[in-house]
Amino acid sequence: MERRHHSQSHSQRQQRRNHFSSSSSSSSNQSRSNNRFSFPKSSSSSSSSSANDVRDRRRETQEEKQEEAIVGTCPFMCPEAERLQRQRLRDLAVFERLHGDPRNSSPALAVKKFCRTMSAKEVRASDVRPLPVLEETLNYLLSLLDSTEHPFEVIHDFVFDRTRSVRQDLIMQNIVNDKAINMFEKIVKFHVISHHKLRSSCSSSSISPLHYLNLEQLTKALTSLYNLYEANRSSKPIHEKEAEFRSFYVLLHLDSNGQPVGESLSLWFRHVPSPIIKSKEMWFARQALRYFQMGNYRRFLSTVAAEASYLQYCIIEPYIDEVRSLALCCIHNCCYKLHPYPLGHLSKVLMMEESDVELFCNAYGLQTCIDEVGNKLLPTKQTTFCRPKGGLQNYSFLGFQQLGSHMLSSLFYNHFLLVPMKPFSHVDGWN
Amino acid sequence: MAYMSMGEAHRRITDYLNRFSDAVSSQDVASLKQLLSFSSNSPSLLSLADSLNVFQDANRLIKQSDNYSPFADITVPLFRSLQHYRTGNLVDAYLAFEKSANAFIQEFRNWESAWALEALYVIAYEIRVLAERADRELASNGKSPEKLKAAGSFLMKVFGVLALGTVHLCRSVIRSIETARIFDFEEFPKRDKVTYMYYTGRLEVFNENFPAADQKLSYALINCNPRSEANIRMILKYLIPVKLSIGILPKDWLLEKYNLVEYSNIVQALRRGDLRLLRHALEEHEDQFLRSGVYLVLEKLELQVYQRLFKKIYIIQKQKDPSKAHQMKLDVIVKALKWLEMDMDVDEVECIVAILIHKNLVKGYFAHKSKVVVLSKQDPFPKLNGKPVNS
Repeated sequence: MERRHHSQSHSQRQQRRNHFSSSSSSSSNQSRSNNRFSFPKSSSSSSSSSANDVRDRRRETQEEKQEEAIVGTCPFMCPEAERLQRQRLRDLAVFERLHGDPRNSSPALAVKKFCRTMSAKEVRASDVRPLPVLEETLNYLLSLLDSTEHPFEVIHDFVFDRTRSVRQDLIMQNIVNDKAINMFEKIVKFHVISHHKLRSSCSSSSISPLHYLNLEQLTKALTSLYNLYEANRSSKPIHEKEAEFRSFYVLLHLDSNGQPVGESLSLWFRHVPSPIIKSKEMWFARQALRYFQMGNYRRFLSTVAAEASYLQYCIIEPYIDEVRSLALCCIHNCCYKLHPYPLGHLSKVLMMEESDVELFCNAYGLQTCIDEVGNKLLPTKQTTFCRPKGGLQNYSFLGFQQLGSHMLSSLFYNHFLLVPMKPFSHVDGWN
Repeated sequence: MAYMSMGEAHRRITDYLNRFSDAVSSQDVASLKQLLSFSSNSPSLLSLADSLNVFQDANRLIKQSDNYSPFADITVPLFRSLQHYRTGNLVDAYLAFEKSANAFIQEFRNWESAWALEALYVIAYEIRVLAERADRELASNGKSPEKLKAAGSFLMKVFGVLALGTVHLCRSVIRSIETARIFDFEEFPKRDKVTYMYYTGRLEVFNENFPAADQKLSYALINCNPRSEANIRMILKYLIPVKLSIGILPKDWLLEKYNLVEYSNIVQALRRGDLRLLRHALEEHEDQFLRSGVYLVLEKLELQVYQRLFKKIYIIQKQKDPSKAHQMKLDVIVKALKWLEMDMDVDEVECIVAILIHKNLVKGYFAHKSKVVVLSKQDPFPKLNGKPVNS
C-alpha cells in the first residue's frame, strides 16, 4: 500500500513537472524542458490574468514542495520512539494510559503529539504517519468525542492537540488529494463543535483561552481546506460539501467591525466560484450577513432557526446573543413607555422560551411585571437598563435542540447534516 | 568602425563612469536615464560598448577608484550586459542587466528620496525589452523562453504587491510607507500619488472604512488627469458606493458619461425609497458587484432606502392631513411594502422601525399595542450629513 502510494506520487510529480516552465533557479532545467510543451505566457502578456500567475507560482512551489516532501513510514498512531519516551517521562494523556497507568501506554492508545518542527529536512520518515494511518488515527480521535467519562474540555484538549499533529503530517507529506479534503473537513467539524461546546462551558464574558485557541485553529484548518479545494479544482470542479464549508467563513466574519482575521469579506467573495455563491448554504450565510449588518433581528433569528444546519448554528451562535441584545435594546429604548411589551411576543421575536426571556431581561437590569389577566410584560424605558456584567448564560433557541453528546460522532459520518431544524423537532430528527 | 585606441577607449569609459556618479550625487535623473537606456541605441552607448571591448579591464578601473567603486555592483554587470548586447548575445545581456537592476533597487532604497524614479522606470522598461529579446533567442535555439517571466518577478519587486491585487499583504507595506519619514508623499510624481490613493482607497472600501475611503478616492479623483477617462471610471467605480453610503447621490449624467450604469437603478432606488428596485439591481449585477468587491457595501444601503420610503409615506400623509401626519400606522407601511411586492408582516415592520429609530435614521418611537410609529415633530428623518449609518 505504501509503495503504491510512493510510485503514484512520483508519477504525479513527473506529470506536474511537464506542465510548467522550469523555475529559473534550478540548473537541471535543460534536461527536462522541451519545446514540445506550451508554456504559460508571462505576466506582461495581456491574455493571462495575474490570477493565473499566482496560481502558477503556487503550483511551482507545490512542485518544489513535493520534491522536499517526505513519505512517512510510521505504522502506528504514535511513533514508537515517542511513545516509549513519553512512557518513561510519564507524559501520557488520560486517553493514552493503559488501564489508567500513567507510565504505560500501547500502540492502540498512544497518539502522536503535536510538536513544532524546525524544518521538514530534519524530520525522519519513521516519525511521520502515511495517509492510511492518518485516516485511522483521525477516526479514532473523533470517536473519543462521544466519551462520557471525561468533561468535554479534557476530551477537546486531547483531540485538539492530536488532530493538529495529523494536519501537520498531512502537510509535511504534501498530501493534497480527495482524502486530505475529507480529513480536513472532519477536523474543521471538530473545531466547529468545540467552538459551540466550549462556549457553553465558560461562564465569564471574556472568551476563555481554550475557546480562542480553538477559533485560531479552526480558521487555519479552514484556510488549508480552501486551498485544498482550489488545488483539486481540475479533477473536481466543486466538492460535495464545499458550499457548506465556504459558508463557515462568512458566518465567522459577520461582524465587520470585529478584528479582521485574514481577508475582509468583500475581498474574500471575489474569489469564490460562482456555483458556490449560488448554493443554498452560501445563500443562507449571505442572508444571515445581510440581516445581521442591517440589524433586522426578526429576520435574522427566524432565518437561522429555519435554515441553519447544526454546524452553521454552532458558528453563528455568538451572534445570536448579540442580535438578541440589539433587539432588546431597540425594543426597550424605542417603545412607547405606556405600552409595556408582552413577554409572549418578545419570546417570539427573540426566538427564546418565555421563561428564559424573563431571565434575559433580568440580566440586563430590567424588571418584568404582570397585568390584570396574568400576562407578563416588559415595561420599557426603564432607567436600570445596562449591559450584563458577566457573560450571558445559555438560553434556549426555539427550533433548535442541543445535540446529545452521544450523538456527536455521528456528525462525522452522517451525510444529512444540512437538514434544517423545524420548530420543536426532536433530537431524533437528525437521523 | 574606425580603429579605437586604448587611450580613447579608456577615456570613454571613465567619461561614462563620471557622468554616472555625477548624476547620482547631483540627483540628476534626466542624465541618469540616458545612461541606462540600452534600447535607445544611442551612439554614446554603442561607442561605450566598443570601448569596453578594446579596454578590457574596466572592472579593475571601477573597483580601484573611490569615485566609481560605490556603484560597482551596478556598473560592473551593466558593462558586461552592454558588451553582450553589442555582440547580439541577448540571453547573457539579460542576465547581467538583471543583476545590475537588482543592485540598482538596493541603492534606490538607500537614497533619501524618490528622485531616481524615472531612472527606475527606464530600467523596468529595458529589462522587459531585453527579456523579450532574450526569450526569442532562447526559443530559436530550442530552449525554454523563461526570461520574460524572470523579468516579471523583478518588476514585482519594483512595483510591489499593490498592482497584483494580493491585497492582504498590503497592510504591512502601506504601514511602512505611511510611517516612514524617509519618503515625503508629496515628492512623488502626481501619477504615482493618484495610483497609490486609488489602491489604498479601494482597500478602505473593502474594509468598510468609509470616511477614509472617501478621502483617498476623492483625492485620486481630483488629481487624476481629466482626460484619462478610463482611470476616472476606475476611481468612480469605488467612490460611488462610498458616497452612496454617506448619503450623497451622483447625478445621472455622471453615471452615463463614465459608463457606470450598473449603479443607475441603485441610485434610483435610493431616491424613490424603492426596495424592490434595490433588490432587483443587486441581483441583476450580482456577479459584477461581487467580483469588484462592492456588493456588501451596496447591500447595506437597504436601511437608507427604508428611510426614504417612510419619508415618502410621511409626506403623503402630511398632504392629506397635516395634523395627523406624525403618526404612521404600521399597517400603512405593510400595505406600501406589499405594493412593492415585498411580503412583510407587521412584526417585521415593527422591527425595521425600531432599528431605524435606534440608528437615528428616524426620530420618534413606536407604540406596540396600537401598532403605530409616532414621529418627532422636528426633523423626523435626519440626513446622514456625510457620515455612514451608525451601528
